[in-house]
Amino acid sequence: MRATVLIVDDHPLFRRFARRLLEDEGFAVVGEAADAAAGLAAARELQPAAVLLDILLPDGSGLDVASTLAKAHYAPAVVLTSSRSACDLGVALNETPARGFIPKAAFTGAAFTELVTST
Amino acid sequence: MSYWRTGSHTAGWWLAAALALLLVTTYLGGQIHVRVVSPQSVYFALTMTVGMLVGLWAWAWRTPSRIGKLMFWWPALLLAADLPSAFPESSLASTIGLGLIVFGYIVFAQMALSYPTGKLLPGRLAWIYIFILGYLAQVVQNVVNMLYWDLSDCPFCPPPRVPTLIHIGAAPFSLRTWNNAWFMFIMAILPIGLFLVYRAFAQASPGTRRSTGPVLATLTFFTCTSWVYSYVLLTDRYNALTPLSWVQTTGALVASFTALIGLGMTKRARGRVGDLVVELDRAGPGGARRALSRVLGDPTLELALWLPVRGTWVDEEGREVTLPAGRDRAVTLVGEDLAAIVHDPVLLDQPALLEAAGSAARLALENERLQVELRAQLAELRASRARIVQAGDEERRRLERDLHDGAQQRLLGIGMALQLVKSRVGGNEEAIALLDETELEVQGALTELRELARGIHPAVLTDQGLGAAIRTLADRAPIPVEIHDTSARLPAHVETAIYFVVAEALANVARYAHASNACVTIERRNDRALVEVRDDGVGGADLNVGGSGLRGLADRVGALDGKLRVESPPGGGTRLNAEIPCAS
Repeated sequence: MRATVLIVDDHPLFRRFARRLLEDEGFAVVGEAADAAAGLAAARELQPAAVLLDILLPDGSGLDVASTLAKAHYAPAVVLTSSRSACDLGVALNETPARGFIPKAAFTGAAFTELVTST
Repeated sequence: MSYWRTGSHTAGWWLAAALALLLVTTYLGGQIHVRVVSPQSVYFALTMTVGMLVGLWAWAWRTPSRIGKLMFWWPALLLAADLPSAFPESSLASTIGLGLIVFGYIVFAQMALSYPTGKLLPGRLAWIYIFILGYLAQVVQNVVNMLYWDLSDCPFCPPPRVPTLIHIGAAPFSLRTWNNAWFMFIMAILPIGLFLVYRAFAQASPGTRRSTGPVLATLTFFTCTSWVYSYVLLTDRYNALTPLSWVQTTGALVASFTALIGLGMTKRARGRVGDLVVELDRAGPGGARRALSRVLGDPTLELALWLPVRGTWVDEEGREVTLPAGRDRAVTLVGEDLAAIVHDPVLLDQPALLEAAGSAARLALENERLQVELRAQLAELRASRARIVQAGDEERRRLERDLHDGAQQRLLGIGMALQLVKSRVGGNEEAIALLDETELEVQGALTELRELARGIHPAVLTDQGLGAAIRTLADRAPIPVEIHDTSARLPAHVETAIYFVVAEALANVARYAHASNACVTIERRNDRALVEVRDDGVGGADLNVGGSGLRGLADRVGALDGKLRVESPPGGGTRLNAEIPCAS
């Protein structure tokens, strides 16, 4: 059975290409959400194995969403992403319970798979 | 004599002067002729003469002249009413005497109730008191006596002893009872007059009080003697009349002089207008109000200045004010569309003083208004500079956001699409190489775009605040940068300014200072944000050297009413301090 993924990002273009890249990698993209609130709701309903989570969401920070998700009983593997570089995002990135961070400019299916499957 | 010429001598005044001369000569002449001249009658005549002269002086040289007229008429009438003593056998003298008796006292009361302007106290009570209980009642009383008085058989009665020209015989009622009732009436209304004057005194402005005080004292004395006089007549104690006359005549003499002194005090207050000119000359901003308030004796006095640019009244601080319209404040305008003095309405008693003070203060007020205008313009300029900087920041933030959401997202999409293509071309090596090359180009474009956007406005500042933004700056610096930030969150425009100060300072450190480390301190003290960036480099930075970037920073900080200082002795490192107000 393919691992399920939820994509949370406010840019539809990114969601569209990310979905294809992840499907190429063998993931089942079960849902998309455009902001933090919708992302949390979708995660609760779908209980995905992994979440691709944008940090700068219109209604809040992806870092907060990651912390909330980490406490959920199904504890999805969260991969953070952003169009900003890690340098621009500052130290907050070091304290998140997420599996890792991939800048959007360097986003590949392989990089995602590597973070999700790492333990 | 120039002083003489400055007086105003109307036809009425000349007539009054002639009448005074005629009265005195007739009175004394008559007394000498019938050989009844006594020290008391000479004293009386002289006192009344002095009174008339004082009145004539005030009439001609005091403005308004109303009070002078009243000051003249009361001794004149008293003297005229005593003519029967000089002409005991003359029916004409009897007629004049009985016709005018007591009127002098009523005029005196009117003067006391309208001192120092000559205008009767406002309110119906004073008017009724003087014109109904005073003049009208006395006319009735005097006519009754002129018709029926015949006391030729009463040796102790005061003159007149001969019937008047309009005498018609014995009264159909007891004239004695009538007159006794009349004395009681006078004794009853005398305290009312005193009460009215005291009440007005209590409500008067300090200036008016100063000049009314002496008159009030004499009036009290005069009222008391008049009351005793009425009592003496009522109880037939005629032997008390002579000593009482001495006392009352002296009272009249004192009254004339105190009225004169009181007027002099108004003049002295006006003399202080001279001091006002000197004081205004020395006074700084806001001094005009203090000086006027002191000279006019009104601590509640306020100033309003007319600002033609804004079309409003403002106070000395430039705050908009509205002129009061109620009855508890009065407004005196100075100049045309210049200023308004808002004061206690009792000062209206002294229109001349108000006018003089206003004129004297005119130049200072003109000056004060200029300063207010200047301050208003400066404040407006400062506000508009801050607005321009803020609008610029806002615009840059929007531009950065647009680049981020638009072009950057599309390039990211292209990069991801390339990967999708790459996984679909199979083993075509040439195609894959071409795609790799394209991907590199896209990455390059993304990097350049990000640098551009960061230069326009640091996204991290908008997204995560100053602390994160400063740490990002420090991370990017080529040397170790220590950060002490205790400021918590500050207003957005202040954070932006601080960010640019630190960014520029660290860039300079990297470029010129050859430093081994640097330190950034940000703290909030009261309503000011303090920023310091120091390094241990070669120093020599100068705020005033063009193109250093520091000048632009100083302008940016200045636009927020802040200050930027640079201490950079050669070889002694550089210390840059910025202080930005951040009242939220």
